[in-house]
Amino acid sequence: MLEIPRRSPSGIFSNRVPINTIPRRSLSGILSNRVPTNTIFTAMLKEEWRVHSTLFGSAGFALFPLLLVFFATAGALFWPFFSDVLPAQTAVILIHSCYLLAGASVGGFGLFGREVMNRRFGQASMIAYSSRSLPVSEQAILLNFFLKDTVYYLFFWVFPFVAGLAFAAPFIGLPILSVIRMLATLSLSFLLGLSFVFLLSTIYVHSPRTLLGILVAAAAGAAFYAHSVNAGVISLLPPLALYYRPSPLLLLTTLVLIIVPSAISVRFLKVEYREETRRFPETLDRLVGILAWSPDSHLIAKDALDLNRSEGGAGKVVFSFLFPVMFIWIALFILLRFIPMLSQLMVFAILLGVISSTIYNWVTEFDLFTSYAFLPVEVGTVIRGKLQSYGLLNLVSVAILVAAGLGTGQVTLLLPALLTFASISFYAVAVTVYVGGLSPSIMLYNAKVYLPYLGLIIPVLLVLLFVSIPNPWFALSSLCLIPPGWYILRKALFRWTAWEQPSF
Amino acid sequence: MEIIIDVKGLTRTFGDVTAVNNISLSVQKGELFGLLGPNGSGKTTMIKCLTGQLKPTSGEVRVMGLDAVAQPVRVRELVGITPEQETPPSFLTAEEYLHFVGHIRRIADIESQCGFWFDFLEFGDKRDVLCKDLSRGTRQKLMVAQAFLHKPGLVLIDEPLINLDPIMQRKIKNYLTEYVKGGGTVFLSTHILEIAEEICTRIGIIHQGNLIREGPVAEIRSSSKHLEEFFLDAVRGDPHA
Repeated sequence: MLEIPRRSPSGIFSNRVPINTIPRRSLSGILSNRVPTNTIFTAMLKEEWRVHSTLFGSAGFALFPLLLVFFATAGALFWPFFSDVLPAQTAVILIHSCYLLAGASVGGFGLFGREVMNRRFGQASMIAYSSRSLPVSEQAILLNFFLKDTVYYLFFWVFPFVAGLAFAAPFIGLPILSVIRMLATLSLSFLLGLSFVFLLSTIYVHSPRTLLGILVAAAAGAAFYAHSVNAGVISLLPPLALYYRPSPLLLLTTLVLIIVPSAISVRFLKVEYREETRRFPETLDRLVGILAWSPDSHLIAKDALDLNRSEGGAGKVVFSFLFPVMFIWIALFILLRFIPMLSQLMVFAILLGVISSTIYNWVTEFDLFTSYAFLPVEVGTVIRGKLQSYGLLNLVSVAILVAAGLGTGQVTLLLPALLTFASISFYAVAVTVYVGGLSPSIMLYNAKVYLPYLGLIIPVLLVLLFVSIPNPWFALSSLCLIPPGWYILRKALFRWTAWEQPSF
Repeated sequence: MEIIIDVKGLTRTFGDVTAVNNISLSVQKGELFGLLGPNGSGKTTMIKCLTGQLKPTSGEVRVMGLDAVAQPVRVRELVGITPEQETPPSFLTAEEYLHFVGHIRRIADIESQCGFWFDFLEFGDKRDVLCKDLSRGTRQKLMVAQAFLHKPGLVLIDEPLINLDPIMQRKIKNYLTEYVKGGGTVFLSTHILEIAEEICTRIGIIHQGNLIREGPVAEIRSSSKHLEEFFLDAVRGDPHA
């Protein structure tokens, strides 16, 4: 006979841990969470390492920063040869701007809440889900995730670059004090970009209109400040100013600009606890009808629905693509002061071609091949569908380029700029597919993958930039990239179709 | 009788681990074959090799007369597969997912097929819900439905009923039995012995990658042993089991 233990209802329920009673916490509350912060932090760091080392092997993953050391050393050693074209101050501005941009590109945590943790490495980020089963708030988890990512990126992106500079410093007459200063200011630039976009993305999740208002106001304020004070770009980027004019006050200002936005973002993070079920009328077939020109219309339609319905929506494209593109356009303005013979539109088209290939990463983020593996579909077919989605999304790039051409009155250069952009974008995405298959955002962290990627992209990029200096029309030589791009793409489809797909 | 699955000397290793070790096996048309084994015994690897999702390290696999290594996509065109772990894409609704599969499989009467499965598995009220918001059980219903949409001659099902309530389990068991009577073939992998004992016509027991027993369920029923007893003896290495 089944016996029921004699306990009063209150006895059964009285010792239950209240569910969902963790209130929105103050920052101090988050920091004093009962689960020691360093426990989660350390575990996340270990997890990060193990995820990557499991995928690529410890050596492959550890080689990644060494590669950056090598490139930084080589770049610094060769810099004196083209210091006439790229003066030291411009180089310093560009490097700081690049790290600001790098920080900005990884700072969109607020956009996705829980989803970003999941998507970053497929289903592998288990600790990010601890709040489901352990008494840890989502805010505490995100704070640790934020700190872990900060440490991880500093170790993988900033420190190796500065180490490379340090190796080259004695040979190019760079004082070691400047290297140390750069270690601090590049880290601060990266963190500034990261925290700034973290805040913007958090605002976006709460109210896209507010974000738009803030961006317009900030742009107007920056332009007014730069114009009225004639301060230039150095004063607009505090870490850069700190590099040239170190002072405790400037350091404090920079730290406040980093910590306050991050703290606000963690405090007001909107974690999507979608308890309600989301319902949509059948849309796939309608999209398939619209895309009927393609034999892979169902795959493209699925990508479109994934992109539209996933958290962040169009904001993902804004933060990962439009921001970097806007930055490049602004950086080119600065660069033109020093290299007046550069055609801003043509150089923009070349760089846009490379940057646009990151759109491919987005369309591959939402599914793994395991979702298709039990259906009669080849990897090559799925990649073909993703490439068509990529092509359609790249109409945004085309629109940007056309707007830039018309806006600057360079109408005669518009057609060659478009052709240059299209050929480079095609080549860059072919290379991305070859090295990364259906998981480029994961695979590119493997040094053995990243090296051939850089080897196939950077020389081509440099050659095109140089040939466009004497005459912008020479950039049209990028059309020569179409046959090798086609060849690489064919090889890529064959390569990935032949391989058993890795599951992450 | 027509042989639908023919496996000879199938071995699949992952590094130092041998997941499937030199298995030979055949399944005839109209059989409901149950592959039983403890967790991690090699059942899922076996199904993935049968459907061309994994390449065997050695051995031959023929499914419906096709070489599953040379023509994996063609094999997957002909068969239906309900995987153990894979879930439908997060941002399609249940109905869109079935339509998506319909497009891939070029199914003409997808609308009526969807209607049948929504009614039969009783989740028509969830047809417009995003797959990521579906309960685990409903997702499993969806995965079962997608495997039968194109009316395949062979269905391979990995742990078919694990998330379903008893009423739905009964429905699916009845459906599988009728499907086999109608000329279909089922290759079922499970560690739930009651399911196998109830509906399978023949079973194989896989343990640590080796096929250690194989035979008709009727023989077990005619002996004094229950399948559970038979299974435990086999896994523990009783030579008389």
